Amino acid sequence: MDDLLADFVAETREMLEASEGELIAWEADPGDRSHIDSIFRFVHTVKGNCGFFDFPRLEKLSHAAEDALSDCRSGHREPDSALVSAVLAIIDRISEMVNAIEAGEDLGEGDDAALIASLEVGAAALVVEGPPAGAGTNGEPEATEPGDEDQGHAGKADAPTILRSIRLPVDLLDRVMSGVSDMVLARNDLAHRLRQAGNQPTIDGPFERLTTILADVRDAITRMRMQRIETLFGALPRLVRDLSGELGKQVMVDLEGGDVELDREMIEMVRDPITHIIRNAIDHGIELPSDRLANGKREIGLLSIAARQSGNTISIVIGDDGRGLDDAKIADKALAMGLIDKAERADMTREAILQIIFRPGFSTADTVSNVSGRGVGLDVVRDNLERVGGSIKVSSTPGCGTFFTLQIPLTLTIIAGLTVEVGNQRFAIPQSYVEEIVHASARALDFTCVGETALVTFRGARVPCVMLSDVLELPGSELSESERTLVLLRLTSGDLFALAVDRIHSHGDIVVKPLAPAVMKSGFYAGSTLLDDGQPVLLLDVMNIAEAYELVSDARLRMQLSLHDQEEAIASPTRLMIFTDFEGRRRAVRLELVERIETAPASAIERNAAGARVVVDGTIYPLVGLPDGTLASEKVRLLRLDDKATNLLYAVREVEDAAELAGAITPVPEDPMIEGLTLIDGATIALVDGHELFARYGRPAETGVKPGVLIPEGEWAATILGPLLESAGYVIMRDAGAASDALIMFEEDFEAAQALDMRFDAPVIRLREQPTAPPGAETIYRYDRNGLFAALESVCVRKRQAA
Amino acid sequence: MNDLLVIAQIAGRRCALPALNVQSVIEVGTITPVPRSPAYVAGITALRSQTLTVIDCRTALGFDPDQWPCDHRAVVVPIEAHPYALIIDRIEDVTTTVGELGQVPGGFGTNWARIATGMIETRIGPALLIDVHALIAPLEELGSAA
Repeated sequence: MDDLLADFVAETREMLEASEGELIAWEADPGDRSHIDSIFRFVHTVKGNCGFFDFPRLEKLSHAAEDALSDCRSGHREPDSALVSAVLAIIDRISEMVNAIEAGEDLGEGDDAALIASLEVGAAALVVEGPPAGAGTNGEPEATEPGDEDQGHAGKADAPTILRSIRLPVDLLDRVMSGVSDMVLARNDLAHRLRQAGNQPTIDGPFERLTTILADVRDAITRMRMQRIETLFGALPRLVRDLSGELGKQVMVDLEGGDVELDREMIEMVRDPITHIIRNAIDHGIELPSDRLANGKREIGLLSIAARQSGNTISIVIGDDGRGLDDAKIADKALAMGLIDKAERADMTREAILQIIFRPGFSTADTVSNVSGRGVGLDVVRDNLERVGGSIKVSSTPGCGTFFTLQIPLTLTIIAGLTVEVGNQRFAIPQSYVEEIVHASARALDFTCVGETALVTFRGARVPCVMLSDVLELPGSELSESERTLVLLRLTSGDLFALAVDRIHSHGDIVVKPLAPAVMKSGFYAGSTLLDDGQPVLLLDVMNIAEAYELVSDARLRMQLSLHDQEEAIASPTRLMIFTDFEGRRRAVRLELVERIETAPASAIERNAAGARVVVDGTIYPLVGLPDGTLASEKVRLLRLDDKATNLLYAVREVEDAAELAGAITPVPEDPMIEGLTLIDGATIALVDGHELFARYGRPAETGVKPGVLIPEGEWAATILGPLLESAGYVIMRDAGAASDALIMFEEDFEAAQALDMRFDAPVIRLREQPTAPPGAETIYRYDRNGLFAALESVCVRKRQAA
Repeated sequence: MNDLLVIAQIAGRRCALPALNVQSVIEVGTITPVPRSPAYVAGITALRSQTLTVIDCRTALGFDPDQWPCDHRAVVVPIEAHPYALIIDRIEDVTTTVGELGQVPGGFGTNWARIATGMIETRIGPALLIDVHALIAPLEELGSAA
């Protein structure tokens, strides 16, 4: 039994438990419509899910019950006690079958005709013994039916089955999660106090361990709640395949963005909506292959499902290339059903008419098929999404297809955030919006005001600039305009604007927590988060702020038109990044080449005869521009240059600023590394020749191959050797059985191992405790960092060559 | 009727909160202000890893908070899954009710009527019983209107 089936069983059982109360209430008062709705949804979902698996009996039963209930809902039939009993008997049967499915038993060829027949109007009431409504009381109704073959299942199904996973209440997870967050805060506090108390080797060691453990636990707990949307997508191709097969259509699925992470609860929340929409798309949207060919389309329909995280929402777009929605038909139907009146219809745009499909009780399907079109679904889909603060929209082009866009909020999820400061208060911005951070002093920004709107020039375009202090009505900052920092934000609509803040604080992962409604109403915040020091900060709702300032497309279009002429006038000048290299010379490099500025610890730099290399984010890059001799500083600023194929890092002493190339470039034939000299602000600056640089040093980055090193046991190795190697880009292994690229051992251990005639599957680097080497020993003093790295590097080089 | 009550001074008046509604009483640490939120939202503060919305009850009731000294303690009440910290003048006591809930002829005054459930006799004297939901809920309407 696969996971999908386990999910199906668990879901059905949960729904069964939830609808038990409704069943009992309905039995007491068959005329009450409100109970019918929830029971109807239950059988509808069961029916939908069985279509997905292969349970024809289950499907037949639930379909029959659904038909009968649907008649009651539409008012064609008055529910009576006979119907109630019949539906209850069917639900009991469903519950038995689910037990059988879970136990992995065959459902057999049992005869459900009697049960189904009892649903017919005027059928003799089933004689139900005992308390019939409890869905858990297996087997009682069927006792009235002789000849039932699977009576035995009820007994068998009660036997305990092996649980392979457990379902936990989300509050419990929340509690554990906030407990861990509290622990992290307590740790930070303790760390602070320890620093004040000075070095205490006996405490620092265990404390470091605590920190590592806590980081691990925190990571695990966080992941407990997060799930890649892949887990949801995994089930879709099968669903599509089965549905399209059943309906005689050919459909291809295109899934995108499976790596988007969503809160587990949210995934559960969107599972049903997505299934419903896909079912509708295949049933109503995509045409039969013959019709498609007749309309000049490909025979195979395309269903695309894409998940994307943008700022503080996750959007899931489900699109098909089918016949599209017919707004006239929808409006007529809505009129006929009394959902809208004539006057309303006349005022409605096509867009507005399309959204009617989310109203309760709406269905356009002329015939009720096995798959969809019963009017349950889209209204429920919308309700479910709105309950968690999401939304759903539909857009459609007749003849071309339909797109459903689901927006799901990001609350309780973890996003990368940038912390900025304005007026002595800090705020967080979702990193995904941030295009670039520019210091306002840069001359090229050309800060101007057109009317009340401030504009800056960014990459040759005028971009509106908004002061965060104005947005939040904070007292004006003490900084002058040129001292501010501009955060350029790219909205999902593609619009760009600059947000002026006093300074940038930090960036890192933040856990977004919901805010109280009173604060949410202001519309400027999307949530809150706690900084490392335990201070809460507000997460800005970039989209809403942009909307408030009419920076989002529609509103901006008019403004752009008037700006268009100006934009034309600004020729895009060549821009340069000016820096001082390690020999104190001012140099420049074309800005397009610079991907970003990195800071790397000196320990991440490796030098050997072949040249220097540096490890940045687990990838090894060639490094140029280093001074001869040792580095004076612990950290090195690096320009990451990118020629779109390879990356190269250029070590610099200081990054100055970006500037425009104003005058001509005078070639310097004597130095191949220099493209030429140019005048910037009256000073001569040599422009680095990008072509020559990449030709000489450029090499595709060596990704992923972090060499694994097995280190000895003990505190010294764990606290001194391990971190040193890790910071130099090696992966530390502690499990002696793991495959590693190199082994580091103490001489004594190595001798002992040799005495035992042990074999090593990786080269061994032997360490000794004394600074001076005994003659003839191939050992390295344990504090000889360079020696150690040289040995490791040569081992790794040999390995690479061998590979 | 012997319910536990948390007795607090709000704008110089003795008020009672049903202890069942109260999660804890905390020393308010640093409050991060929330710019452009309604005035009664004093800001947000962290209680361990939880974020509390700090409401100044005096402002919420239309009084000037500076008139009443505050002992920097707040009552934490969870309302509709959101924890709020209510700033009051000071906490007086935790006590039990000794009488039934009653009304006073003439009411409690416009500021108070909105949030008062009625007058309750306690062991330390009469107090105004406050409905915490009313304290937050109508505020939101006021807030959006503002």
